[in-house]
Amino acid sequence: MTSNPKVIVAGAALTPFNRRKDASNFRDWAYHAFDAALTMSALKRADIDALFVASESDFFTMQLNPASILASDLGLVGAAITRCEGGGASGQIAVHAAARAIQSGSAARVAVVGVDPSASQLSGDTVRALYGFSFDAWTDGMTGVSSSALYALSYQAFQARFGGTDAHLAAVTMQNRANARDNPGAHLPRDDTGQDIADSPMIAAPYRRLHCSPLSDGAAALILSNASALPESRKAAPEIAGMGAANDTLHLGARGDPGQFTAKTRAMKRACAEAGISPEQIGLAEVYDAYAGAQLQAISALGLSDDVFRDLDAGTFAPDGRCPVNLSGGLMGQGAPVGATGVGQTATCALLLEGRYHAALQPKHAPQYAVADTHGGICTTSAVTVLKQGGAR
Amino acid sequence: MIDHRLVLDYHLPPGWMAPFVEGLAQGQTIARRCEDCARTSFPPLRSCPCGASAGAWVELDGTAQIIHRTDGQDGSFALVLFDGAATHSVVRLDNLAPDQNIGRLAKSTGPLPQIILGPELESSHP
Repeated sequence: MTSNPKVIVAGAALTPFNRRKDASNFRDWAYHAFDAALTMSALKRADIDALFVASESDFFTMQLNPASILASDLGLVGAAITRCEGGGASGQIAVHAAARAIQSGSAARVAVVGVDPSASQLSGDTVRALYGFSFDAWTDGMTGVSSSALYALSYQAFQARFGGTDAHLAAVTMQNRANARDNPGAHLPRDDTGQDIADSPMIAAPYRRLHCSPLSDGAAALILSNASALPESRKAAPEIAGMGAANDTLHLGARGDPGQFTAKTRAMKRACAEAGISPEQIGLAEVYDAYAGAQLQAISALGLSDDVFRDLDAGTFAPDGRCPVNLSGGLMGQGAPVGATGVGQTATCALLLEGRYHAALQPKHAPQYAVADTHGGICTTSAVTVLKQGGAR
Repeated sequence: MIDHRLVLDYHLPPGWMAPFVEGLAQGQTIARRCEDCARTSFPPLRSCPCGASAGAWVELDGTAQIIHRTDGQDGSFALVLFDGAATHSVVRLDNLAPDQNIGRLAKSTGPLPQIILGPELESSHP
């Protein structure tokens, strides 16, 4: 039996995530992210065998086949192209599809581009109405329940079982936004105080506006490669060591425990099994914090803590803690252009492992393993990627 | 900037969910009972978690207990358990005060099949 080829993250780049006001559009952002990742990879356009594009909704791009238009823009005509969609998990699903293509031998060097214009092209109310159809459009969607309300109900169920206070939600909010202050590409770099949070409007109790991630524009890109197909200068870059995905019952109410992100737990177990590690070996994490409480639910589901409130209080997830979480600022601080989110999380982990991230956020000692965790719906679709330090470190 | 306005008018056949959708318009709680394990779901699940896909439509009495509730700018919604159902439901709350933890399915008004929980009807029995 032969082992799978090693999948190297040869290039990784993100555009700023924010609300664009410069007349640029998603095709510009995708181009810039791809171009920067390709430059980092030391490869050329002609080297790329396949393109995987993540974009959540044609309603956002007003383009029914975004992979085709981006392939033309990026100079990848002739490559195999695929568009991946899994709600909020679209980007991480594209990463998995691309890495599996390399492992299967069907491609040697692959580009992944995630992009969505979630902020500037449609009104906030329109985007929020569309997000309401991210769940079951035929039941929850018709009833008009918002994403915030569903997440709030799920977090209440989590709290009922595990505890937690408003102070914990505030701690996550302040930490992520503080991290974002050192990320020049972040949408919401802020010095929020507990009082600022308490004074912000109640969207869906317990979530106030400052507990929520913003709607953002932006793109992220990766160049993944079979290690043997890279120039020497990039052979020792971080690798994708394990991938896992799972889904959960679509209806929140039909789940055994609506507060538990069960799909995430399954996906993480699969990713760790493939990487041959346990969650305790993860040294940093980019997790899907659509809301402050969702970050706590994610940390718990991923097995990064057996008591998330205790470990939050102890500083375990702070920048200088045992397992820093969302150094980028996460969705709450860096922003959330849906299709770009998962690609950006994996890019961020790779850059941190390689020591090429924003200097103020770069850990003094890069860990051996990092995890990028992305989900769609209310953790209905989960995709988790474990990255491993490259051979050079 | 290029301003482009799209208006989409969907005409959605309810498909297999027709009894559920028609029930909401009449204020009836039409659930699906698995023919193998008798687990009753509302909203209906086409495939039961036990693995069976054969089910029968049954009407519940429409009374539900609120398990978790959220209020805010997005409106008032709750995770509730209808009497006779094994699954919880996400509902919109209509005229249910925060101290009321029991309600009844309200007739869905308007074109959309909405799951709305309103106040319990006062009993007509002596």
